[in-house]
Amino acid sequence: MIELTRRHFFQKGAAGIGIPALASLLQADTGGLPGLPHFPPKAKRVIYLHQSGAPSQLDLFDYKPTLNKTHGTELPATVRMGQRITGMTSGQSSFPVTKSIFKFQQYGKSGAWLSELLPHTCKIVDDIAIIRTTNTEAINHDPAITFIQTGSQQPGRPSFGSWVSYGLGSENQNLPSFVVLIAQSSAINTDQPLFSRLWGNGFLPSKYQGVNFRASGDPVLYLSNPAGIDAATRRRMLDGIGKLNQMNAETYGDPEIEARIAQYEMAYRMQTSVPDLMDLSKETQKTFDMYGPDARKPGSYASHCLLARRLAERGVRFIQIYKRGWDQHNDLPRDLALQCQSVDQPSAALIMDLKQRGLLDDTLVIWGGEFGRTVYCQGKLMDGNYGRDHHPRCFTTWMAGGGIKAGITYGETDDFSYNVVADPVHVHDVQATVLRCLGIDHKRLTFKFQGRHFRLTDVAGQVVDKLMV
Amino acid sequence: MLKAIPFLLLCQLTLSAAVDFDREIRPILSDNCFSCHGPDASKRMANLRFDTADGGAFSRSVIVPGKSAESHLFARVSASGAAKMPPASTGRTLTPRQILALKQWIDEGAKWQTHWAFTAPQRAAVPAAKEASWVRNPIDNFVLARLDQEGLHHSAEADKATLLRRVTYDLTGLPPTPAELTSFLADKAPDAYEKRVDSLLQSPRYGERMAIQWLDLARYADTHGYHIDSHREMWHWRDWVISAFNRNMPYDQFTVEQLAGDLLPNATTEQKLASGFNRNHMINFEGGAIPEEYQVEYVVDRLEATSTTWLGLTMGCARCHDHKYDPIPQKDFYRFFAFFNNVNEKGLDGRNGNAEPFLQLPSPEQKAEQERLKSAIAAHEKALPEEGVSKQQLAWEKGELAGFPVMGREGLQAHYEFDGNLTDSSGHYQYGRVIKGDLTYSNGAVDRGVDFDGQTQAVFSHVPALEAGKPFAAAFWLKVNGKLRDTVLTQGAFRIWLDDFELSGVQQRVPRLYVALNDAVIARTADRLPWPDNMNHIAINSDGTGVSVFVNGKPVKTEPVKAGVGSSAADTQLAITEFKGKLDDLRIYGRVLNTQEISYLSGQETLRAILNILPDKRSKEQKAWIRDYYLTQAAPPQDRKAWAELKALREEEKKLTAQIPTTMIMSELTEKPRESFILARGDYRNQTEKVTPGVPGVLPPLPKDAPANRLSLARWLVDPANPLTARVAVNRFWQAYFGTGIVKTLENFGSQGDPPSNQQLLDWLATEFIRTNWDVKGMQKLIVTSAAYRQSSRVTPELLEKDPENRLIARGPRFRLPAEMVRDGELYLSGLLKESVGGASVNPYQPNGVWEEIAYGDGFTSQTYQQGHGDDLHRRSLYTFWKRTAPPPEMTTFDAPDREKCAARRTITNTPLQALALLNDTTYVEAARALAERMLTDGGKTPASRLDYGFRLATARAPQPRELTVLRDTLNAELLDYKRHEDKAQALLRNGEAPVNAKLDKSELAAWTTVAGMILNLDETITKQ
Repeated sequence: MIELTRRHFFQKGAAGIGIPALASLLQADTGGLPGLPHFPPKAKRVIYLHQSGAPSQLDLFDYKPTLNKTHGTELPATVRMGQRITGMTSGQSSFPVTKSIFKFQQYGKSGAWLSELLPHTCKIVDDIAIIRTTNTEAINHDPAITFIQTGSQQPGRPSFGSWVSYGLGSENQNLPSFVVLIAQSSAINTDQPLFSRLWGNGFLPSKYQGVNFRASGDPVLYLSNPAGIDAATRRRMLDGIGKLNQMNAETYGDPEIEARIAQYEMAYRMQTSVPDLMDLSKETQKTFDMYGPDARKPGSYASHCLLARRLAERGVRFIQIYKRGWDQHNDLPRDLALQCQSVDQPSAALIMDLKQRGLLDDTLVIWGGEFGRTVYCQGKLMDGNYGRDHHPRCFTTWMAGGGIKAGITYGETDDFSYNVVADPVHVHDVQATVLRCLGIDHKRLTFKFQGRHFRLTDVAGQVVDKLMV
Repeated sequence: MLKAIPFLLLCQLTLSAAVDFDREIRPILSDNCFSCHGPDASKRMANLRFDTADGGAFSRSVIVPGKSAESHLFARVSASGAAKMPPASTGRTLTPRQILALKQWIDEGAKWQTHWAFTAPQRAAVPAAKEASWVRNPIDNFVLARLDQEGLHHSAEADKATLLRRVTYDLTGLPPTPAELTSFLADKAPDAYEKRVDSLLQSPRYGERMAIQWLDLARYADTHGYHIDSHREMWHWRDWVISAFNRNMPYDQFTVEQLAGDLLPNATTEQKLASGFNRNHMINFEGGAIPEEYQVEYVVDRLEATSTTWLGLTMGCARCHDHKYDPIPQKDFYRFFAFFNNVNEKGLDGRNGNAEPFLQLPSPEQKAEQERLKSAIAAHEKALPEEGVSKQQLAWEKGELAGFPVMGREGLQAHYEFDGNLTDSSGHYQYGRVIKGDLTYSNGAVDRGVDFDGQTQAVFSHVPALEAGKPFAAAFWLKVNGKLRDTVLTQGAFRIWLDDFELSGVQQRVPRLYVALNDAVIARTADRLPWPDNMNHIAINSDGTGVSVFVNGKPVKTEPVKAGVGSSAADTQLAITEFKGKLDDLRIYGRVLNTQEISYLSGQETLRAILNILPDKRSKEQKAWIRDYYLTQAAPPQDRKAWAELKALREEEKKLTAQIPTTMIMSELTEKPRESFILARGDYRNQTEKVTPGVPGVLPPLPKDAPANRLSLARWLVDPANPLTARVAVNRFWQAYFGTGIVKTLENFGSQGDPPSNQQLLDWLATEFIRTNWDVKGMQKLIVTSAAYRQSSRVTPELLEKDPENRLIARGPRFRLPAEMVRDGELYLSGLLKESVGGASVNPYQPNGVWEEIAYGDGFTSQTYQQGHGDDLHRRSLYTFWKRTAPPPEMTTFDAPDREKCAARRTITNTPLQALALLNDTTYVEAARALAERMLTDGGKTPASRLDYGFRLATARAPQPRELTVLRDTLNAELLDYKRHEDKAQALLRNGEAPVNAKLDKSELAAWTTVAGMILNLDETITKQ
């Protein structure tokens, strides 16, 4: 299938069109869908700090003092209500309630409860909205992370970032509009994998797929000139290629050739803009201190958070970070602490840094996993050590910036952080709300495929007004 | 981005007198009205539907033929405010043109048609052409008739060189060689082109080229996808596809063998292998996943792939509710689902390669080896005749029983034989009792053993030996069932348990054995135990401070586990509370056992027990055990030798079987077929009405006498009465040549699909395909020998504006090559391509870390990328290893799908990442150097002739003088530069592993490499034009 772009329609006479004229056409082309945004946007871009593997809400955000009393007792059937559980604990004969060994305290003007594992996040509680009642339908990693990233548990749909860059286009001619950064696990136990479908374009044209900026080797695949080709030679080659393509365009009149010429120029600009982006040498020591000891380590979550700010400054539309390593089935106290050590400070620093640069107003930041963890222990409950299985029915996510109310804690869960008591926020509601902050009606951002008008929120999703300014 | 402008529609309104319902009105109704007034009964509003003529529209004055002013439909779509249709809440609005079209259609009599795709194609008479001289075959008559309608004119024929390059890429996936070009240009015969087409269709490359599109539909890959995404082996199936195309297997046979080859009478290995089409779906084994959930997903995937590939229907839309647009009720979905639901498969599988069911495919050598072992085994079995051995064994048994040693009872504190009860035969009366559930007893290691089901609980008296600080020993036989993570027995802080859980939820089939002496001292076996299915003898010795473990009489290594994992139970009785499996002959000693004693317990004691049973009362296992014992230990030397050899041969046979490649296939559950149900909201948990296999009601029925199974379904698909199969197939062929199908939406021929740009042509091609007995090569030849295909692809601004997508074929096709052909073409013209059809997938150059950054890692296959060398680097791209969660970037950068799901068409995009790949990927830098070598060695003596040669290789034409100037200017600049910097030249030549021609001057070769790189990066080089 040949993808039609507006170039085909607005261009009068392909032959002889100059590169400057073409560049302006391309600019129009990166402007997203006509008619979007549907509403005045509160946020222009998104930074999604996905915590892959699912952090325990019970040990970080959702404080349950009554667990001190019920610790070690069987989870009441009236709470579990026969909900399905994973194959890892379904054979367990006992589901002992397990309190967190971590201390909780209230912070900020908002008085939000946080665990001692988050000594930096506690400094930004008045800038973020903590949602305790996020919930999903999947109970295992693959379907759950696919659900939260594409709106569907089964593969095949475009990712969140692809939808946004399809809808809104790019604000930067020299960088992709959707960038992905992956930070490896800091825990000791083996980690869950990721899949390229999570930033894939699904049935949208492939130019909307996320571009993974890698920590080692070329930040973007094939970005660097090969050994033995220096900048001068590359420039001469590109000039030659451009001239030859231009001659062919005059013969064939196909606007695709003009587009190819422009893409080669953009590739050339990316060879400068991407290394410039990745080069942290001009950041101040104060900034590095803020993001913490890992900030100078390429590929760390801290350096990714710093890069996220730099990407936001450059107008990249959707910045997706994955932090691996949150799947604490066992040895939770040890591994959760390790994960928090690498994530807590940079996450808080990102918010403070965006704020001090005036970027937080139009940048929406999301922090959270694909589901939560169970109040009951996986395996034998032991003194000072425990594990928690997957829990879809409630988990904590926080959001901040563009359009989101600051300093609130939203939603209530029961005494076991097992069920939602008030104000549930389904995964599709999160997606609808984020789109709304970007000025998009989630029901009207659609793409027709197989005859159906697909959307990120499938057939559901409610904008949660109470979360918005 | 604007969507495709419905410019055809606009033309229709101004050009044609009558509005065509199928092409213009149904799409409006379908896209804007069907979701509330369509096939889905549960969502239907006002009891009005527009997908059928008798849905209330005509009877209730919604549409009054001839009178738009009296029709509610027109009133409502042109209303404003609350009365306006479609309502604002749907987010849909009609354009003024669409409203006008509805009005005109009503005024013209509101003629209703059934959706075109659900009626069998009608073979129209070939229209007479005004310009008969242009026509080469009937395709051209239909194309001309359509162009006439639009007032357009066809283009001139492309020049011979362009045409040869176009058709060679189209039929083989590779460009023509200069020699082929020269001979073709020299061939002045009127049928020179047809002869060339015939010979291309005979090339083995044809099958490789045709397979590319099929592999997308079949979602072919070399890994399972989903979570761990480890290795699978389906390349035998891929090779079957290539071979089927090369043999020109008729499309009906191609269909039947892939959907139901396993069900054909006396199915051959090849036919069973072909049925793997529907085993290419993803398979999951994420720890904790629910098998029933995924088994349903596999079946849905088969249904979707089958309906997309053969019917061009989006049946998947009817999984959760009735289809919103097409007449496919939810029940029809689940009846179709039932055809694919009876596979002998597990919901979670694939951990160790292929998932059941699969077929063994021994190589000729392996087959010979199988034969050799089979006859050697038979010969050895003959040397040990049952009758003779039995007689000798019986005599031996009598003698043995007489003087059999008995294990000493010193220090024995408890002994549970489990021969039918829980009594203690140590003399201490430490009897056990069941406190929950029931126990069963069956054949064990020493006479009978006891079976625990995981629920039943038993307690025994307190055994003083198990208190920490004193020496003791515990010995027992153990067989584990099901989940391998249970506690075997506990007493106070003392605990023995098994755990196969290896971090992050992935269970291994082989557990470790853990022993906790108390909360502080815990040991586990250092290695996972090779846990066979039969019973294993476990002995644990403790001196009171540490433990040692023996398995089947032999000591095994242990390692300490960090403290804090044990737990103190209040109960100090010996207890078995959550064990699932079998136990036998549990003994507890108040002392440490020596190795002879342990060896005795793990062997002699079994022997003694069996000897005590009369030979004909022994179980099968007991008989085998004592036979092995006799032939290993006690038989005459020649028998012992024969037995040892026989066992070795059987072991060899087992090993060989494990090495023989397999391929996943379809096969039916015969004994207990799996039942199918309508699943409410598509959820595996919500089974409602039971259904039997059946085809959608909107299509012709299955033959009355045909059994409702996959084979009948496959035959039904290729029955000439099926309105879709042939149309969908020829439309797919058409797209490969022209870039867009006659029906643009290859995957959707339903009411939401794109109407055909030339239905008469589509239907003629479909009926011709059937008439020629589904001759696939014949159909390719028909298309590529048409005058329509042979047109020049040059386009004027006027034509571009009128028909940007070339739907009307007023010119030849021009578009960027598919990903595989971009890479293959460049490797071929640079002389690097290594051609050999088929075989296991290979790992060419790939940037480091593409897999590792996201992969699970430990303990599974296909988690780290191991780049190949030599020929593996330069095979055709359809042999590149395909990992689903991290597909080859060389392919996906150029729009190849990820192969997670069936994909009927690829978009063609034009991105900076493609430029970066062609400029910097090792594959292409190396190809540029190889092309430069070719230019220098085979391109004549002058720079001009060498540039001409390289350019011609890539584009099949000579460069124009001004193009030559650009190339030569760059060359001169680079020659200067590389001559000055030889280190830079050397660095450039070191890219890639292909050997460098040492006879060439390095600086010169480097400069030529940059120019060759320019040629490889030209739009023209990667474009079919």
